[in-house]
Amino acid sequence: MNEKVTFTVDGKQLEGKQGQLLIEACEDSGIHIPRFCWHKRLDPVGMCRMCLVEIDTPRGKALVPSCTTQVSEELIVETESDTVKKAQEGVLEFLLINHPLDCPICDKAGECPLQDQTMAYGPGESRFIEEKRHFEKPIPVSDIVLLDRERCILCARCTRFSDEISGDPLIEFIQRGNKTQVNTFPDEPFKSYFSGNTVQICPVGALTATSYRFKARPWDLKKVSSTCNCCSLGCSVELNVSQNKMLRILGEDNEFTNQGWLSDKGRYNFEYLHSENRLLNIHSRENEDYQTINISDAIEKIKNKIKDLDNPDIKFIIGANSTNEEYFAINKFANSLNRNEFLSKDKSNVYFADDHIYNGYFSEEYTSATFEDLDNSDAIVVWAEDIKDNLPVLFLRIKKAVKNGVKLVVFGHTNTALESLADLYLGAEIVSNNFELKTSLSNIQELKDIIDSKKVTTIIGKSTPLQKKDSLDTLINHLQKVSDLKVFNCFSKANTFGAIQHIDQIKGLNEFCTEYENSNKNIVFTIGANPVNSSFFGSKIKNLLEDTDYVISLDIFKNETTELADLILPTTAFGEKEGTITNMEMRVMKQNKILPDPGSTLSEWEYLIMIAQSLGKDINYDSVNDLNSELASQFTMTEALPTFDNLNKPSNLFGILNQKEINLNIRDIDQDSSSLLMVKRLYGDSSTQINSPSISMLGSERFIELSEFTLDKYGIKSNVATLTQGSSSIFVNIKLNNLLPDNLVLAPINRRGFEKLDSTKDFDLKETKNMKDLSVN
Amino acid sequence: MSWETERLEKAKQIIEMYPQKRSALGPLLYLAQDKDGYISNESIVEISGLIGITEVQVQSVASFYSMYKQEPTGKYLLSVCKSISCEISNSSDVINSVKNFTGLSNNETDDENFFTYESVECIGACGGAPAIQINYETVEGLTPDKAVDLCKWLKEEEPEIVVADELQDKFGGVKSFDWAIADNNGATSPVPGFQTYDTSKEKK
Amino acid sequence: MKETLLLTKHMRENPEDSHSLKSYEKNGGYESVKKVLKSGTPEEVLQEIKDSNIRGRGGAGFPTGVKWGFLAEDEERYLVINGDESEPGTFKDRILLERDPHQLIEGMIITCFAANISKAFIYIRGEYAKPARRVQSAIEEAYEKGYLGKNIFGSSMNLDIVVHLGAGAYICGEETALLNSLEGRRGEPRLKPPFFPAVKGLYNKPTLVNNVETISSVPWIMSNSGKDYSSLGVEGSTGTRIFSLSGHINNPGNYEIEMGSSFGEFVDTLGKGVKNKAIKAYIPGGASAPWLRGDQLDVKMTIDDVANEGSMLGSGAVVMMDEDTNLVLAAKSLVSFFAHESCGQCTPCREGTTWLENILERVASGRGRLSDIDLLLDVCDNISPGLSWPPKMTTICPLGPSATASIVSLMKDFRSEVEVLLPKKVVIG
Repeated sequence: MNEKVTFTVDGKQLEGKQGQLLIEACEDSGIHIPRFCWHKRLDPVGMCRMCLVEIDTPRGKALVPSCTTQVSEELIVETESDTVKKAQEGVLEFLLINHPLDCPICDKAGECPLQDQTMAYGPGESRFIEEKRHFEKPIPVSDIVLLDRERCILCARCTRFSDEISGDPLIEFIQRGNKTQVNTFPDEPFKSYFSGNTVQICPVGALTATSYRFKARPWDLKKVSSTCNCCSLGCSVELNVSQNKMLRILGEDNEFTNQGWLSDKGRYNFEYLHSENRLLNIHSRENEDYQTINISDAIEKIKNKIKDLDNPDIKFIIGANSTNEEYFAINKFANSLNRNEFLSKDKSNVYFADDHIYNGYFSEEYTSATFEDLDNSDAIVVWAEDIKDNLPVLFLRIKKAVKNGVKLVVFGHTNTALESLADLYLGAEIVSNNFELKTSLSNIQELKDIIDSKKVTTIIGKSTPLQKKDSLDTLINHLQKVSDLKVFNCFSKANTFGAIQHIDQIKGLNEFCTEYENSNKNIVFTIGANPVNSSFFGSKIKNLLEDTDYVISLDIFKNETTELADLILPTTAFGEKEGTITNMEMRVMKQNKILPDPGSTLSEWEYLIMIAQSLGKDINYDSVNDLNSELASQFTMTEALPTFDNLNKPSNLFGILNQKEINLNIRDIDQDSSSLLMVKRLYGDSSTQINSPSISMLGSERFIELSEFTLDKYGIKSNVATLTQGSSSIFVNIKLNNLLPDNLVLAPINRRGFEKLDSTKDFDLKETKNMKDLSVN
Repeated sequence: MSWETERLEKAKQIIEMYPQKRSALGPLLYLAQDKDGYISNESIVEISGLIGITEVQVQSVASFYSMYKQEPTGKYLLSVCKSISCEISNSSDVINSVKNFTGLSNNETDDENFFTYESVECIGACGGAPAIQINYETVEGLTPDKAVDLCKWLKEEEPEIVVADELQDKFGGVKSFDWAIADNNGATSPVPGFQTYDTSKEKK
Repeated sequence: MKETLLLTKHMRENPEDSHSLKSYEKNGGYESVKKVLKSGTPEEVLQEIKDSNIRGRGGAGFPTGVKWGFLAEDEERYLVINGDESEPGTFKDRILLERDPHQLIEGMIITCFAANISKAFIYIRGEYAKPARRVQSAIEEAYEKGYLGKNIFGSSMNLDIVVHLGAGAYICGEETALLNSLEGRRGEPRLKPPFFPAVKGLYNKPTLVNNVETISSVPWIMSNSGKDYSSLGVEGSTGTRIFSLSGHINNPGNYEIEMGSSFGEFVDTLGKGVKNKAIKAYIPGGASAPWLRGDQLDVKMTIDDVANEGSMLGSGAVVMMDEDTNLVLAAKSLVSFFAHESCGQCTPCREGTTWLENILERVASGRGRLSDIDLLLDVCDNISPGLSWPPKMTTICPLGPSATASIVSLMKDFRSEVEVLLPKKVVIG
């Protein structure tokens, strides 16, 4: 495949790889061949015929599509002959006869391949005098995507994406011939986690996104590359801003990570930046009410609080959305407050607000994996929280690997969405409802056949906060023993890996609760974290914070945790701050600033440095650049240090892999789960999502999943039910999922109402006849 | 409304004939149309579940083929050929006479759900042009008058089973070739009468 | 001239029950396959087929022996019989399916023996309900007798045959579209490369796709010999072919003849002439073929001779059009057919064929423009650059270019019939 071949294009000798598509080989050599249907991440179909070129064959010259022709030694190609030009002109004329030419009101105008290529290769005038094809326009095909079939040129990019790449073919060609149109099935909308990609790759304005319609013209947009922080995959994105408003996020084709794709959450979760609910001022609790105060007063207050206390006990609860530079600053600041200058591990005062975090497999005996390893493995073994919901683009990478022949082994019960891709799905017979292994792995012949002596990449992490590490140890030890193993530690939240790299010793909320309970409860900083709402320990933490002398919250929205704060410091968010983040491959990537700081917001690090300086600590950083240079210098095992300068170089645009010692010391939660399996869904009630109108409704459905067996056990015959636990009662839709083991009921923890449920306690499920009954109740 | 047990049983038999489930899609669409007269959305949902593809994938395939009807079709589907051999053999006169008699235009069904009229591309009866199919049973060597007689007869007799040989005998003329011995099997609905799909019956 | 009956002999001689197993066997049926299974080898069968020089009878005329030789090795391989006969003017497979299904089944068993195949499909167009019923009944008879299923004829060979009905899509006659259809997909042609059926066919497995007539010829070839077969007809067009004769003809029908005599002779003797009129034009090989003029009736009915005249013998459908024929309407009918049957995948065919139909519609109804002749030809040129035959294509498959054949013929030889419909050029001054 990598054998070089020499071929001739328009009289020039070019080099390409054997088997490479001509259109791609030409592109690599700077020769652009026009195209509509071809997309380098989709299988070629040769449908639009725009990329026709002439090649020499034993039977004379022939027109062939360059997107389906492979380069070979001595191939002779003409891309600009009269025949080619005539064919291209012909194709464009054909495409335009039924195209409405409503460019003045089309979002795509100005960045439209059809428009651009018509200018470059098209006929001067139209000879078509008949009536054009008409369709109702535009029709919504989902909550976030609209379809204008008149503009559609039937390139099949959207249909192929949904079939080949995301594996949820909900949009298809209907009818045939000249009547062909793209559409969805009635009452079955294009409900895909990845639908926005079809909008991005649509070569005309047929698919548009509700969030961007009529908002801007492409020539008015300010653009910058950045890295998405919706999960720990690290998708490369382009931020589009006009008049200081984020209007659009596009996927960038980063070969190493997202390969152009984004989840809809990553793509559309940005309107919150301009929400009227954003925290824009500093709020200080005076008696029962909050007062707006200025920054110097706020710093003064904090300084006094800390100074007044003799040997103050100060703890930090941090979230996953900070940059590496911010974590670095938090670490410096937290250390400086510690009584012991030479911090020992058990003296750490920083706690990470994600219950899934545990010690993982970071030591030298484990080889860490990159996404490329997924493609190059013989098999992928997954036992972790739901990949499709928590690391959506990783789901796409796994699907791609499987499509190319890599075997997939999935352990139950959270990744049922991977079952249809899996060669081996190990469900109830192997994995207990408590996520323990029921049998010895070496006894499973099918597993043996797939992994023994093979190259294996594992994606391993806690399926739920209550899963015990022992079970994962058993799996990884087995894999280490029988295969050539590479490891992904599956922590899915945003910049988790940045946090664990840059904070000397991080603990979990479990540790916070036990350690803090017996302390003085002086001061807690919560930084971009909402443990009251999102943790298994939520109610306990609520009580602890209520008992705390002074709670300082740094955040972008008010939430259940900031409600308990004495001082709220509004911070900058995605797109408003510059920094680096580290993805689950330990790839450091750049986040860029394109929006001004809104209101009185500051970056987390700015607050912390100001407080440190007011306390007379020797922590001096004037800019985020200073922080970055110093943190970058701590990496020793990497060829290029992840400095801003290095990351801005074109060769490093897609990130720099690095290694750094990681110390985690986190205990299992010492409780067993009931038959309630609480998992996080992609869409939910996060403050960023509910403040982004285009996607706010997507996380509103309350549902549970369970098998037919379990449903029968509860005697439920309708598709709605009432889930009751203690004083909480939730009406839920029932979704059948027969991959779930008997007696296990799956519920989304990040949907409104569910946060009150306790996955260690029993519950009751009762039939609710229909929605009418609900209103009577 | 999901399929009744009998149809589901047949569907399962058909699926088993193929190395891959999806191959049964075409025959299953015929099963759907046999009972409903067209491909209803309910049947699409049912078939989607039976062979494990999405509803819109089923619809995509169903709408590609002209014999899967997207609208309710009458008891008798009248398909008059208009392709070249029929065209130059005055099929337009037959088309007009059928249209006039039924009062239907192309792809239209009457209010009683009795006739659906369509003009179609080549049905492989070129030697016996002009030709018509009633529920895919061919009649060759038609005249405008005989076509009307045929429609009248259908109206009066309302045959449960439409048999090509019987119709040819009564209303046909020149044939593409010697049909030789007559067959008694025919179609019971506007889908091809074919024993494997249980859409054919023998006329006694 | 006389017919030479190989494939249609049995049905002619036994009209009362040629389709039944009893009749077929009584007249020597299934002797070929028994002989082959008893003492033949796959290599010998392949050699006979190669020796016969038989070329595919679906339209493209590819040498069958060569096609079989291309079949890639794999544990799973399939035979698919193309019975989607839908080319306007063609009804030869219909008679073979309806009147002699056991001949096809016997041909299939021998083919599967030669190619080591144990699962075969017969794809029959949905409009051929009666032929399909006859084939299915024959298959059931064969299963009962142990001629199909496990250990057929007591040998170690297994073979299952499934009859699959199409549903109204001419494009499924194109072999890769047919495979898509059989897989329960839209009948859209696949890209070649990489989807050559012999390598990546049904379910991505090596697959032989052969026409009904081609495989129905196999029993005769095996009970006689490849050499005997190739001694019939002429070089390059060996054996017999069943021609479907229709249009303005006194005696339409299917005629099995050796290739090599002229169209004129064929029409005059077997067709018994054209109803007291002169022939204006004729289609020598189905709707896709460019027309020949009435003064070209001395062209020989061979694949190569017709090709030399800029047309093709195609599917063997001969349609006669007499001097009274409105050729503009004839062309419109043909173009409408292709527009209706375009799968819609590739731009030039999807948009071009309908555009051509619309322009012809305007011209035929007197709403044409002076520029329409040039426009028609240029649109054709954008589908089939150079307007030569065999066609060059901007399309995925030959359907689009086929739609241009009648227009190009009309403009080349009968332009005045179009010109009279267009407004006169007004010269001022």
